[in-house]
Amino acid sequence: MIREIYVLYKREFLKLIRSKYMWFMMIAQPLMWILFFGNSLAGMPSSFLNQYFGVSNYLTYMLPGMISILMMTMGVFASMSLVFDKRVGYLKRILTTPTPKSAIGLAKALGAVTRGILTMSILLFLGIVLGVQFTVNLIALLEWFVSLVAVGIGFSLIFMALTANTADVQAPGAVMNLITMPLMFTSTALFPKQFFPSWLQIISEANPLTYLTEIGRSALVYGTIPSLSHLIAVLTFTAVSMVLGTIVIEKTLTAE
Amino acid sequence: MEYAIEAIELRKLYGDVIALDRVTFHIKKGEIFGLLGPNGAGKTTTIKIFTGLTKPTSGQAIVAGFDVVKNAREVKKRVGWIASEVIVDDELTGWENLEIQAKLTGVKNWKERAQDLLKYFNLWEAANRPVGKYSTGMRKRLEVAMALLHSPEVLFMDEPTIGLDVGARVGLWEVVERINKDFGVTVLLTTHYMEEAERLCHRIAIINKGRIIAIGTPDELKTKYGTDIIELEVKDKVDTSVLSKFGEVILEDGKVIIKTKNAEEIIPEVVKAIGSVKSVKLKKTSLDTVFMNLTGASIEGEQVNIQRLYRRIRLARR
Ligand SMILES: Nc1ncnc2c1ncn2[C@@H]1O[C@H](COP(=O)(O)OP(=O)(O)OP(=O)(O)O)[C@@H](O)[C@H]1O
Ligand SMILES: [Mg+2]
Repeated sequence: MIREIYVLYKREFLKLIRSKYMWFMMIAQPLMWILFFGNSLAGMPSSFLNQYFGVSNYLTYMLPGMISILMMTMGVFASMSLVFDKRVGYLKRILTTPTPKSAIGLAKALGAVTRGILTMSILLFLGIVLGVQFTVNLIALLEWFVSLVAVGIGFSLIFMALTANTADVQAPGAVMNLITMPLMFTSTALFPKQFFPSWLQIISEANPLTYLTEIGRSALVYGTIPSLSHLIAVLTFTAVSMVLGTIVIEKTLTAE
Repeated sequence: MEYAIEAIELRKLYGDVIALDRVTFHIKKGEIFGLLGPNGAGKTTTIKIFTGLTKPTSGQAIVAGFDVVKNAREVKKRVGWIASEVIVDDELTGWENLEIQAKLTGVKNWKERAQDLLKYFNLWEAANRPVGKYSTGMRKRLEVAMALLHSPEVLFMDEPTIGLDVGARVGLWEVVERINKDFGVTVLLTTHYMEEAERLCHRIAIINKGRIIAIGTPDELKTKYGTDIIELEVKDKVDTSVLSKFGEVILEDGKVIIKTKNAEEIIPEVVKAIGSVKSVKLKKTSLDTVFMNLTGASIEGEQVNIQRLYRRIRLARR
């Protein structure tokens, strides 16, 4: 299993770093987020920002949230890549070998996480260049990294499980709309929850992005050690989606 | 366990389409077996079932004693597969493609084997180039090398020589013959080339619309289903009724075509019966005629249709 995951991951990795467009997207996307979205509140009085977000720079507040969203959307690439492998027949090549279907899913999930980590590094780098001040906590940073990888794997498996039995190239996009939008706006990735209506607060507490984002803010914005429950929440999400995701992939992944 | 491949009452439905209809055949260990049939006959579907890519609707498929549904993993360890559409990863190099195949099939000393195979298939120089930049034949050869990497017991080849030049085609035939003789690899191949089937296959099954309609050695099939074709150029009109005792008679502008069993013996009588023969051509029975007799395809009929179709297109354009 490890051997298969390793070599399939290597394939994902090589294809990733050899694609010019991927590099372009990996740089352009963070740039546009930071320039347009990150600065959308730049003219806001800092007293308001302090009161509402707890920091005087929205970009600082938002970066961990953006990275959470980024990690979630990477799952779409995993699912697209799976559908693409079906379209070109490559999945048939893999499936005529004794490779477990779940190894294919896990390798793609790791590929998506790699892409996420690379994009995130560029995002952070751009943030620093644009003068974002971080208050770093190392333990939290480590927890955050683990959580990012975990959530990335979790979402990738969910996305792939939902598109495992189709070869329709539209499917990953449809699933993305179904999942990412609601999760994005019901988490604390973009806005703090103390001003949410109570029903939205409840939803946000069941949303893994909230915990991932809070761990990220502890690591970069508040410089504190996050509550252990956050990490537990994130890892629980990943464990559940890994178990369900791999079962569904094993059961429903079609060769074409 | 004398059989390497067994199909027992295999049925495969795709919605309303019956792709396979109670297909049964047994392939002995060490045999090269050809599956011949017109487009859409069910050849690829058969191979997909045996390689575990799709499940049969009913019936049993057994490879090396293992059921492909119940024991998929054991089957997959033992089979190699060549797709009719060449499947390799274009963004990776030939070497990387082989590495993936090797690790997925659990080959231990893969580097030496990969090197040998690349050299054998004349791809060693191109090993580190992206496969997307290979020619069609190079990609096909790489695919064959990938299929042989883990020394499979049973090889499934779906139209293996499609797109290969004459040299590469003969080269691949030699490979198939050699691995079959030296290592006892059982081969199931599909092909549209009768000379390929004749050269390689110990036994052939002809499949049409999902059903096996004939099975046997090439010689057996030729004796049983083959017909010789006598083609005579004639000067005058011919009375077909005097010829029908020799076999099936077709008249075609200035030509008489007779399908018969023992052409050499009846030619003198035919010539005498017609009287005004300009020339005689004899086509001995071949797998082509067997194929066409069994699958109902006929060259003459199609020619007429094409003529009519073409004339209609020209009329429509005016
Ligand atoms: N995935 C599928 N879904 C629906 N129908 C299918 C599918 N695959 C094959 N078929 C149908 O099953 C029948 C057999 O197809 P198959 O591909 O096995 O033919 P074949 O003998 O390999 O033909 P060819 O010589 O053209 O390769 C055809 O009628 C085809 O349309
Ligand atoms: Mg086919």
